[in-house]
Amino acid sequence: MNVRPVAVVGGATVRFGVRAATWSELAQEVGVALFRAVPELRSEDVDSLFVGAAEPERFAFQSHVAPLAAEQMGLRPTRILQRTELACASGQSAIRSAYAAIASGLSDIAVAVGVEKMNLPSMAEANSAMGCVMDRAWDGPHGATAPPFFAMVAQRHMVEHGTTEEQMAAVSEKNHRFANSNPHAQFYEKTFSRDKLLRLPLIAPPLRLGDCSSMSDGAGAVVLAGEETVRRYTDTPAWIRGTGQYSDFHNLANAGSLTDWVGLKRASREALHRAHIGITDLDMAEVHDCFSISEIVEYEALGLCAEGQGGAFAADGRGDLGGDLVVNPRGGLLGCGHPLGATGVAQAVEVFQQFAHAVPPIRQVPSPEWALVHNLSGSANVHSVMVYQRGGAA
Amino acid sequence: MSTPPRPRRTTATVVPAPSAPEPAPPAEMAVRARSFEKRPFLLDFFPLETQKDTRLARFYDRLREGRLSTTRCPRDGLLHWPPRTACPKCHLEELEWVDLPESGRLYAFSAVLAAAPLGMEDDVPFAVGLVDLDGAPLRLFGRVEGRPWNALHIGQKVRTESYDVGDGRVFYRFRVDG
Repeated sequence: MNVRPVAVVGGATVRFGVRAATWSELAQEVGVALFRAVPELRSEDVDSLFVGAAEPERFAFQSHVAPLAAEQMGLRPTRILQRTELACASGQSAIRSAYAAIASGLSDIAVAVGVEKMNLPSMAEANSAMGCVMDRAWDGPHGATAPPFFAMVAQRHMVEHGTTEEQMAAVSEKNHRFANSNPHAQFYEKTFSRDKLLRLPLIAPPLRLGDCSSMSDGAGAVVLAGEETVRRYTDTPAWIRGTGQYSDFHNLANAGSLTDWVGLKRASREALHRAHIGITDLDMAEVHDCFSISEIVEYEALGLCAEGQGGAFAADGRGDLGGDLVVNPRGGLLGCGHPLGATGVAQAVEVFQQFAHAVPPIRQVPSPEWALVHNLSGSANVHSVMVYQRGGAA
Repeated sequence: MSTPPRPRRTTATVVPAPSAPEPAPPAEMAVRARSFEKRPFLLDFFPLETQKDTRLARFYDRLREGRLSTTRCPRDGLLHWPPRTACPKCHLEELEWVDLPESGRLYAFSAVLAAAPLGMEDDVPFAVGLVDLDGAPLRLFGRVEGRPWNALHIGQKVRTESYDVGDGRVFYRFRVDG
């Protein structure tokens, strides 16, 4: 099937973290940042807006956020205006929807924005919101939120494959090191050695504080354009070459193996197949390290190493600059924080900036041409993957 | 014709006098408020366990008798979790209820030591786990009571139990004996 080629032609994020700003103010701030980052973009160019937001009803007591975001950002969409919700992958869903709209010809220039406000005066309320991502009626009342679920993934990986706390700390150290030089990261200019990470308190054993991504406030936005207008905005477009998604359960009882993420294998295979490349062709990957153990399981499911070898892959620096594949040079969710709706968009902004050689040298991937972006959502029961190619002809 | 501006409301009367605290609520109301605060907020906001509200009322009726049960499809034999009103495989709606085994073994577990949801803060630390039921192809998630999290091990024997939520509702959990 021939579809119109679509590219991300620019983007921006706000500073992630515990922000003294409301949901609407974050949307307004990212609108300003986007128009500054893409100087040729005029408000009237944008015919469609997709708003990734996971739980504004719980975190900000606000529904119908798509027109709210449009008003805050100074946009008046004439073709498609909608919110996309897929929990932790809501941002990537916004991009995928914009891509589909432009590829089909229903839109020509679209903005995908992700916004989440998570830090509340009552963090117990925020934690309840996280519990609603799971099967709220059956798993939630037992106290199921993300940390205890991913802790069980870590426990099983340790039992089945001998993975260690030190190997999980290696993931966290790498991603915090990249975040240290990312001014938009929650942990910008913060230093975490492996020893320090291993001394942090347990949150859900065996996971410690440094193994968990933070509740974060943030927003990110990208502009997508069809091939006819791409060059109006940039010389280094990030072409979307493939996408894949897979979901096979929701209730935790139906998870099957906790350590073999079949959904990621299928989604990444689909996305790479559509891009006509293999995993070894990639130059960088932004993967969903909501917890350190997640990145270890993802190395294996993506086929970067053999099953059970993800811990060693991390400890040997094979996902670091100079390794087999640079993973999470943005700083990951561990280093940047994880504002649910904003994360997937911020990952795409990172890919665009890496392609444009616009990040600090300490985390610049050498001449990247191919990038993969992955988000999981919920209890790793949905996997969403996109593959990007730098510049070149459509 | 334009409407005249509304008179500004004075704020003087809404400032409470520090010497006059709010009267204490009646004892009965205070008890109800406390039990509401302690309720796991990830339950429905109000009980929805009877025939008036759910097609799965039999699940709760049986749980009240101490029987943890679920639905099974008589056509394809598929055992469901959670219980359902229609089989996901063949879409048959005439499903049968079966009691689940009362024992099982921990497949994986962890504990919530921080970041508990609303209504569960006082329970911290508490253990949760996935339990392989003895003799049934189901691995259920739930709270694990009876032993501190750091005294549990994979393969630990547990039994299912029902408990009174405290507002007329019933739910289930796992317990380690001894």
